[in-house]
Amino acid sequence: MTQGAWGGGAVRAGATRADDVRRAERLGSMASVALSEAEKVYIVHGVQEDLRVDGRGCEDYRCVEVETDVVSNTSGSARVKLGHTDILVGVKAEMGTPKLEKPNEGYLEFFVDCSANATPEFEGRGGDDLGTEIANTLYRIFNNKSSVDLKSLCISPREHCWILYVDVLLLECDGNLFDTICIAVKAALFNTRIPRVRVLEDEEGSKDIELSDDPYDCIRLSVENVPCIVTLCKIGYRHVVDATLQEEACSLASLLVSVTSAGVVTCMRKVGKGSLDPESIFEMMETGKRVGKVLHASLQSVLHKEESLGPKRQKVGFLG
Amino acid sequence: MPGDHRRIRGPEESQPPQLYAADEDEAPAARDPTRLRPVYARAGLLSQAKGSAYLEAGGTKVLCAVSGPRQAEGSERGGGPAGAGGEAPAALRGRLLCDFRRAPFAGRRRRAPPGGGEERELALALQEALEPAVRLGRYPRAQLEVSALLLEDGGSALAAALTAAALALADAGVEMYDLVVGCGLSRTPEPTPTWLLDPTRLEEEHAAAGLTVALMPVLNQVAGLLGSGEGGPTESWAEAVRLGLEGCQRLYPVLQQCLVRAARRRGAAAQS
Repeated sequence: MTQGAWGGGAVRAGATRADDVRRAERLGSMASVALSEAEKVYIVHGVQEDLRVDGRGCEDYRCVEVETDVVSNTSGSARVKLGHTDILVGVKAEMGTPKLEKPNEGYLEFFVDCSANATPEFEGRGGDDLGTEIANTLYRIFNNKSSVDLKSLCISPREHCWILYVDVLLLECDGNLFDTICIAVKAALFNTRIPRVRVLEDEEGSKDIELSDDPYDCIRLSVENVPCIVTLCKIGYRHVVDATLQEEACSLASLLVSVTSAGVVTCMRKVGKGSLDPESIFEMMETGKRVGKVLHASLQSVLHKEESLGPKRQKVGFLG
Repeated sequence: MPGDHRRIRGPEESQPPQLYAADEDEAPAARDPTRLRPVYARAGLLSQAKGSAYLEAGGTKVLCAVSGPRQAEGSERGGGPAGAGGEAPAALRGRLLCDFRRAPFAGRRRRAPPGGGEERELALALQEALEPAVRLGRYPRAQLEVSALLLEDGGSALAAALTAAALALADAGVEMYDLVVGCGLSRTPEPTPTWLLDPTRLEEEHAAAGLTVALMPVLNQVAGLLGSGEGGPTESWAEAVRLGLEGCQRLYPVLQQCLVRAARRRGAAAQS
């Protein structure tokens, strides 16, 4: 059997790990990193022994820093740093007309901007493809009834509803973009405060929108069921969670799983140029669910702790 | 399809009359969850394309054409070690450019040609599923263009497009490790969630979750996977993937037959 671009646990006659590694390329259109063959072999062999270059195990995340309410002009915002990956999300709530097929619900619109700060390849239109891919994945994840309660975004059926414009900015890219972006979106939605409005109707039937006077009178979204993405990269015979750019360069195929805190999977996608063995897909799904639950629990506790510090907390922002 | 500027522009917003129809929600009929619709596949039908294929499964009709290999833009970089088996080094490998288009009359509502995000997402899914199968290392500095056109959406459109694209690549004589066979699934909503193989458009509209699997049957490797919705726990998704893979294996002999017939036709045409 000829060497294919697969990295499953099956026997590959005639192909050695070195062949597999030589064919390793960068994942999709993300930032490329120059790695020598020796470095790739080092990474691949280390992962087989559950030892990664920075000392983590295969299922460990890097240190995550989350901060909400960093941008003042938005209804909600969050900034997440995972290693050197830096994402800034701003949510703006605006009033608009509901979609025709769903007259009782509001909706979310995602936009992802890969700025040229992240890597020079994103200059001009270079980052558009990656931005569209990430935005499409976000639409897919939120495309079910239970993620966000869209009915609470309705003001009056068929006429007015809240549209949440979620804008994601990629400031720095060091691998594992999808996970970080999803954490940031969840934190930003948790932080979103939508002002309470009332629709008053006159005798003639003309409608008037009244904003409540108290600026702190707002509705909050429940983010209990907002999922988190876990990207599992297949390196050699094992899979790793939270791959750095170097590790992504050694991986041919990854599985992207989106899990909620209850362990329900809302989206699954294979990413990359290689193929996956069916057995590894099942293993990776189980790992994704396990890791996702832990991620949700820690994120919830951090967000609640940050909120409990109240308005007097020290904002680190971009200075830390 | 370019935007059509010559026709008189109608009102900005137009809706199909079905939206205002009385709520006659026809639930899809119950059926055997593992049934596959009969498939009609034909390769080698477009004269201008290097390779082409037409696939019809139930109400879904897809036409796919492959052109190339031609010189890729920005292909002046070089260097790096050569891969095993006489393949080009990583920087010189060929590229596969996929394009997925939906005809405006394909679905229930008219969708203007630049379909935006959804078409690009499906084109990316096509590319990610076909790349493991094509020996791009044998086409250095070249690009292969695959364009899939969905004429009618009768359910599991992406799966049909994947299969048609793989047939078209094989018909074009592109070196491949294996064919890629696609299969669609959808999950019925509560109270009895079951995964249905090869859903029709009605079943897809009423579904709580959908999944498309692409398999390379001989190598038994999953080339592509795309699913979303309220699918439930991981066991449910795993069961769906297994069902999909089984469906792909069942579809494979039909595609082999189709390619053999196309080769015979080509041989007969060359002789006469």
